[in-house]
This record gives sequence, C-alpha cells and structure tokens, in this order.
Amino acid sequence: MERQLVTPRPDWRAHVERELGFAFHTIGGAPYWDETACYRFTAAEIDQIEDATNELEQMALALVERVVTTGDAAYERLRIPRIAWSAIEGSWNAGEKNLYGRFDLAYGGNGPPKLLEYNADTPTALFEAAVVQWDWLQALWPERDQFNSIHERLIEAWKSFGINEPIYFAAVKDHVEDNGTVEYLRDTAVQAGLTTERIAIEHIGWDGERFRDLDNRPIGVLFKLYPWEWLVGEPFGAHLLTGVAKVIEPAWKMVLSNKAALALLWEMAPGHPNLLPAFLEPDRIEGRVVRKPIYSREGANVQVLDGTRLVAETEGGYGAEGYVYQAYVAMPEFSGNYPVIGSWVIASQAAGIGIREDATAITRDTSRFIPHYFE
Amino acid sequence: MRKSHSVRLVLLGTASVALTACGDSGAPPKDARFFPTVKECSAVYGDASCEDAKAAAEKKQAAEAPRFTRKEQCEAEFGVGNCETRQTAEGGSFFMPLLMGYMMGNMMGGNRFAQPVYRGPNDTAVMPNQGKLFNVGRFDGAGAGTRPAFRPATQIAEVSRGGFGSTAQKYDNTSGG
Repeated sequence: MERQLVTPRPDWRAHVERELGFAFHTIGGAPYWDETACYRFTAAEIDQIEDATNELEQMALALVERVVTTGDAAYERLRIPRIAWSAIEGSWNAGEKNLYGRFDLAYGGNGPPKLLEYNADTPTALFEAAVVQWDWLQALWPERDQFNSIHERLIEAWKSFGINEPIYFAAVKDHVEDNGTVEYLRDTAVQAGLTTERIAIEHIGWDGERFRDLDNRPIGVLFKLYPWEWLVGEPFGAHLLTGVAKVIEPAWKMVLSNKAALALLWEMAPGHPNLLPAFLEPDRIEGRVVRKPIYSREGANVQVLDGTRLVAETEGGYGAEGYVYQAYVAMPEFSGNYPVIGSWVIASQAAGIGIREDATAITRDTSRFIPHYFE
Repeated sequence: MRKSHSVRLVLLGTASVALTACGDSGAPPKDARFFPTVKECSAVYGDASCEDAKAAAEKKQAAEAPRFTRKEQCEAEFGVGNCETRQTAEGGSFFMPLLMGYMMGNMMGGNRFAQPVYRGPNDTAVMPNQGKLFNVGRFDGAGAGTRPAFRPATQIAEVSRGGFGSTAQKYDNTSGG
C-alpha cells in the first residue's frame, strides 16, 4: 500500500458535476473529492481486506443472533430503548434482508486490518466509492483494477429484495450529501426495475393507520438514510416499530449501528485479529484508549486518553447514552495523512472500498475522499 | 477484474426533478382547474383566453420541460409511456414529458394562471412551476387511444406530518456516518 501523487484531470469539476451529477465534491469551500493523490494496493493486500470484511460481517450477523437470543439484558447493555426490542427481534426472525454497511478499518499494508467501527445503518460516502472513483480510474488507467463492484452489487441486491410496490427514499430535507447518496441508491433501484419515490423524512405523514406521502398515498416500503436510533425516539417512532411499513435497513441493524456493539464483538471473539479490544467500562485497557460515544456521527465527541490524561479530542453534542472504550491503535500515516479504509458490504458480501483521509488521526466529516487502484 | 464492468446512471447526471406538494409557493390558485382542451376550457374562460393559456402551456413545455437523451431516463422520472420525442433545431432528438393539458385559474391581482400538466409516475398529474413539480391530481383509465379522466387532488385523510426529523435538527448535521 502506498500513496501516490497524481495530476488531477483539468476539467474534473465540470466533468463530475455534469456527467455524474456529483454535487458535493467540495464542502464548505474545502475539497472533499481529492484526486491530487491516490492509494495503490497489491492484489494480496486487497485479498486481506476482502477476507477481513467478510469475516467481520459474519461476526456481526452472529452478534445479532446472540443479542436476539439473549434478549433483554443484551439490549440494555447496548442502550437500545425498550420500545424497539420487539421490532428488532421480529425483523431478525423474519429474515428481513439488509442492503449495505461500511466497516471502517485501520490498515496500512502490514498486519491485519483492525475494525475501528461499523456503520451498519446509515453509511455514507457510497456514491464516491461506487461511481466517482470508478469513473476516475476509467479516465486515467482503464486497464487497471479497483476493489469496487459496489454499483453492480447494489443493483443485484435490490433485485433480491422481492419488492413489488414503490420504495420511498427518504433523507433529511435539503441536506446535499445525504440527498446525493439517497438519489444514487434510488438510481440503482430503478436500474433493478423497481418503482421509486422520493420524500423528505420531515414530510412523512401518519393518518392513524399508515404512513402517507405528500399526495396521501400509503408508504409501504421506506428506505431511510436516517438513523434508527433517532427514528425510534421521535413522535412517529412507535408507529414505525409496529411494522406497518417495511424499512430498509431493517430494524435489527440497531444492534450493530451503535458502538457498544464493538465491546460485545470483542466479548464474543476475544483476541480476533481484526478486532481491537473494546469494553463498556473504563480502566479495562492498559495504555492509550479511545473513548467513543455509543451513539454518534462523523467522529464527534471522540477522546483519546492515556490513563486519565486527555491526548486528543473532537467536539460534538453526543455522549448522553454512555461510551465504549476501545484500545488505541496508531493509525497508519502516509506523508502526514491518515487514511481510513471504508470497506463496503452489499447484501452482506464484501464489495469494495473507499478511502477517506485526514490530516489528523481522528477521521471527521472534514476528511477527504481519495481514490485507489490495485495491481 | 474486481471493479464494476460498467457504471451507468439513469437519474443522476441529468436534469433530475423532485416532486413537491401543493402549498409551497408556486402552487396553483384555489380556483385553478385542469383543462385537457380549449373546448372544455372555453365554457369557463372563453375562446380567446383558453387559446392563450394553451399556447402558453405548450411554449412552457417546449422551453422548460426536462429533456432526456434516452427514453428510459425520461420514463424513470415520469413513468412508462408518459414521454414524447421531439426534434432539436439541429436535427437531433430528445425526450420530454407528455403534455396532457393545462391548469388555469385567476391569480391575485387579476392575472391569469396557466401552467402545463404532464402525466407523471403512477398516473399522477404533474404541474411544473417555479422550478418545482406539483401533484395536482391523477389521471384515471389511462388506456392507449382513450383520453384519461382527470381527478383533482383532494385531502383523502387528515394526515399529520413532522413526526420524523427532529433529532437531525437538534444535532444540525448529517444523518449518515
């Protein structure tokens, strides 16, 4: 694995906007899509990432089974509100299919990839990985390969859902990145032959029996780029948990989308080479430890601690539900840049990677997306 | 190869549109009605006004309707069978939503309101205005060769909204991670 400097395509902004509809390549005036560099992997390294990803997904699914079997005590440890327990159990026992997830891995080419966290419910940076980096490689080196069949896998996955009514794709109104991600997913669903509709999460209606769109048509299937843990705490949450609408991702993803699951994974498979030691209690780990809120987004409210000494910290408004404590791992560094491998599973199969890079060791929403290839 | 063989987009990278509900600005006035032809309109507004409204709707469709290079792109947005092909001045062709008629009414200040109406997904009647699309009703009995009946949109049930989305406002940031 190495970081290479690359000359950006001179017209790349106009190209990605016009040809791909990529509206958020620059965020707040700062570059987000960054093609001044790329990462080169060997085929053996890609194999290592793919194998680790498939193994982590199997462990994650085994954890859901374990939590559902254990019941109340496990949900309490995960800080999942009681109102959601039966929906989780019901969706898991019914075998409700899942679409996607993204494992964030610390990996620098030597030693096994280590799981930092699993974005199982509302992973983003999907369009960039599936389409924009693919398009970049086709423009520069079409003969080279990339670990990225995300687009084709998504279309296949939609077909396997067996849905024969409109899917409503919902995201927060006016949020450019989230709506870009949702619009991309809708694109893949249309290509799978499904009927789709768009609605803002704030516009979803409830008539006492069913969810309704703005035209008051019933919403039977909802794809939501909005965290389950937020939905269940909001006024319509209880209605959603009755199962009146089919929801993607399914309710059982609540087990995996909170960071307490990292501690339960370690408990289930202590010493696994792709896991870092993680606990729900402080003081279980010698040396440096990373404290993460059980529920948080985009690297907010993370603290790096050395004993009681605070080494580094990010801001945010999360942490009310408690924290998980994970052993610190030195992030691989390439010329002052810290990449994190976002490794995608589509329908629970490893399907490709997208790399986000930051100038600090905690990846935040300001980090840049860097393309990759392998040979 | 472990990369996708091809990556094709049917919605993104083209002029994509979003459906918006009536009630936002740009919605038709309260008295607005749908007219499929001048004949049905003239009993209400007279021949001259109806000819004007029809011409305005056609002009608006030609100038502002979303254009698609491929039929399937257009049909992905507006539904199968709801697109027509047109020629450009240079001799090329493109697809745009089918004009079904127009919404016409009286605006505050005495001006006439006239906007084209297309047929959208699930037989919805879709009216563009101010860069948005409004669902103004539905077309029933959409068989080939027969003119479908227009059914205006009405509140079919008392629906409450805003029951989702408050947490995102609290954190004022992205929902994804």
